[in-house]
Amino acid sequence: MIFATPWGLLALLAVPAIVAIHLFRRRFPVRAVAGLFLWQLTRLTPEGGAKVARLPITPSLILECLAALALALILAGARLSSSGISPHLVVLLDDSASMAAVNGRGESARDRAVRRVTTELDRRGPSTRVTIVASGERPAVLAGPAVFAADARSALDRWQPEAPHHSLALGLRLARELAGRTGTLMVISDLPAGAPEEGALWVSVGEPLANVGIAAAERSLSPTEGRGSVALTLGNYSDAASHRRLTVSAGGKNVLSRELDVPPGVSSLSLPLPPGLPAVRVALSADALARDNEVVLAEPRPRIVGVQNRLRDGRGRQALVKALGAVSGVSEADSAQLVFVEAGELDRPAAPGVWHVGFGRPPAPWLAAGEPRDFAGPFVLEKRHPLLLGVTLGGVVWPGATPLAAAAVRPLASAGDQVLIGIQGRATPATRLDPAIVFNVDLARTNLIRAPDWPILISNIVEMRRQNLPGPERWNYRTGEWVRVRLGRDPKGPLHFRCGPVERALPAGRDLEFVAPAPGGLLQILEGNEVRFELGVNFLDDTESNLRQQVTSETGQLTEAAGLRAESGPASDPLFWVLLAIGGLSIVINWCLLAPARHSA
Amino acid sequence: VPAPLIDWRVVRAAAAFRLAIPRTPLGGLVGERLGSGSGSSLEFQDYRPYAPGDDLRHVDWAAYARSELLAIRLFREEVAPRIDLVLDISRSMVVTEQKLRAYGELSGVLACACASTVADSRIITTGSVEPQPLRVPEDVERFLLCDAPLSALEETHLPLRRRSLRVVISDFLFPHDADLLVSRLARDSAWLALVQLTLREEAEPAAEGSRRLVDVEGRGHLDLVLDDAVIQAYRARFSRLRMGLSTAARRAGASFAHVVAGTPIREVARGLAAAGVLDPA
Repeated sequence: MIFATPWGLLALLAVPAIVAIHLFRRRFPVRAVAGLFLWQLTRLTPEGGAKVARLPITPSLILECLAALALALILAGARLSSSGISPHLVVLLDDSASMAAVNGRGESARDRAVRRVTTELDRRGPSTRVTIVASGERPAVLAGPAVFAADARSALDRWQPEAPHHSLALGLRLARELAGRTGTLMVISDLPAGAPEEGALWVSVGEPLANVGIAAAERSLSPTEGRGSVALTLGNYSDAASHRRLTVSAGGKNVLSRELDVPPGVSSLSLPLPPGLPAVRVALSADALARDNEVVLAEPRPRIVGVQNRLRDGRGRQALVKALGAVSGVSEADSAQLVFVEAGELDRPAAPGVWHVGFGRPPAPWLAAGEPRDFAGPFVLEKRHPLLLGVTLGGVVWPGATPLAAAAVRPLASAGDQVLIGIQGRATPATRLDPAIVFNVDLARTNLIRAPDWPILISNIVEMRRQNLPGPERWNYRTGEWVRVRLGRDPKGPLHFRCGPVERALPAGRDLEFVAPAPGGLLQILEGNEVRFELGVNFLDDTESNLRQQVTSETGQLTEAAGLRAESGPASDPLFWVLLAIGGLSIVINWCLLAPARHSA
Repeated sequence: VPAPLIDWRVVRAAAAFRLAIPRTPLGGLVGERLGSGSGSSLEFQDYRPYAPGDDLRHVDWAAYARSELLAIRLFREEVAPRIDLVLDISRSMVVTEQKLRAYGELSGVLACACASTVADSRIITTGSVEPQPLRVPEDVERFLLCDAPLSALEETHLPLRRRSLRVVISDFLFPHDADLLVSRLARDSAWLALVQLTLREEAEPAAEGSRRLVDVEGRGHLDLVLDDAVIQAYRARFSRLRMGLSTAARRAGASFAHVVAGTPIREVARGLAAAGVLDPA
């Protein structure tokens, strides 16, 4: 007999306890009598204390001891046979998309990987415990830890590799942790082992194949010219030119078809598109890897920043007009999102969503005591701020800098303790922060407007504002990239996105941020049931498209590990049921059959 | 439907007895038994001198002719005896079903014996209630509810009639002085019979281990280990109680019988006859 939890044998102490109770405990079952006075003069307690009497071997004592013994053995995990040592196989599957590449016989590396693992499971027998890990940037356990082979087989059937290129290092680390000292590690990939993995069998199930794939894709729109286009970068990963058919469709309708001879290596292709089309699907005819033959591209919608120049006439205003003219995506508008004003107006109330940029003497509440001063450097810049990206202020003379009160603005550029460029967030009724940027400078006397930093500063201001306009940061993404979308207001309903088979809820907020899901395709962001944005999510991984490095080999060997002590449940051992029956029957008989008899006695 | 308390068919089959009435003259109403005084029966008893006012029909004229003395012939009085059947209806008489049934059968047998004796029979269960007539033996069954907290024998006054035949049925399992109790019952009686009914385990209990003994008449409880020593002590006390009753009965000229519940009723009747309580009819 084997005890899974020997400490449970401590419960056997209940047996002597029961005996002691029966030995020393005086039970007083009630008995009705007619003449109690005849008993009353009898001595109640023997002189000299309790009298040691022979233990009455009653059915109750026997049943109680039997029940205690059976329950103690159940607690101690008594079983007739050993729990057994099961071999533990940990399989790391390369989840990269290249594993799905099929050869001329229609067989993929994924199929060979599944067959190889299945063969190993068959060889090890049904008692084998299996853990299957899929590699990736975030490795995942597909089956396990330590499940039965049958469960592992169903997990293998469901497995479809589709991840972009990644290192197997993270997956290996997870697999080794799961294997510990009791498991055997097997790595399945289509690439050869870079270096021998100690204590692991590296099985390469790849096959070098020729493949043509879309390595990059971009859809653009020129509103001024009224036309759109798709720029494709095609990769032919073979030694010979390959003939392919390219089709472009939108909304289920074929927009364009073209026969291509793709030369070996990387080539580019530009396709004209009429503007206003919904998301288009660009597809190449089938080859070894289907994953890289298709992209979905959403039409980008340019985010125009409305600006208003309210500076006084003079050098400064003219310089601002020139600088804004050099920035794309800007339009003059009365209801502008970006307004350039004299700095003295910055303390006036502003409409929500309007950024103000002021030049000159700041408003009086912001000022400190002191006279304006001129500076020729050195200047201290907050280089990390997007406003000052690429700005050096080299050779710039900064005249008319008025002393500012402490904490009036957050300094972005300073000369000594004098703030030259600052930013202030102003709370609006909508409780969002619309910053005001102050240039504490006399534009009439400075050479900043003639320096190379001037158009850069203006461009940075415009781009900062553009980034804060509602809408997605970009319209087309690779799988695994962060998608950032600014809603611009509180959502009116629950937010979620839908991308092919993937559908997830999004946290409610003005700014949405999530990873572009695999396998990609058209991604729709919905607010309630209304589609707010349509984005393209595509594979676009030239490393995975290149199938010429794939090999078939086996490196290393499966080490014989200690094995996993597989604890099956107590119900698997017949002794458990026997003990349970004995214990249960003893309790039932003692309480249900003997107890009434005692009471009646 | 609960079984009847007394199986009268069995009781009547066993009740071929009557009370063992003494030969001494009895008191009572005019009846068929010879009374203790002079009466109007045909049996000559004695002479006495004539006194003015005597019924001249009773003058013995023959004796006057012989002796010239007026003498009155006295005849024995014929009486119907009075029977007081005292039943203990305390809860101790029904401490078990067996004792209740034995009590019923015993009462039935004695009621039959009373009925076979032409007498004025009454049943006394307590001093506070008027005695009830016993016309037919079945009348006794109405009194066997046995829910009184005390035995009638513990009461200071019982409505016993003078010169009556008295039959007392009880277990006598209450604290008492046997001499006092029996002399009180026998006072002014023509005849007294004491019948003690107990269970076998009341007379001869066995060692049962620990028990909480609860008095059915609410006299408290007692936690006891019924071992051999305790049982021996109890048996001695019970024996002294029974012997005390027996001795006191002898002193008072009464009959005493001890009946153990569970004994077949025929044997009970024979035992009562052997003890002088009953006579074969």
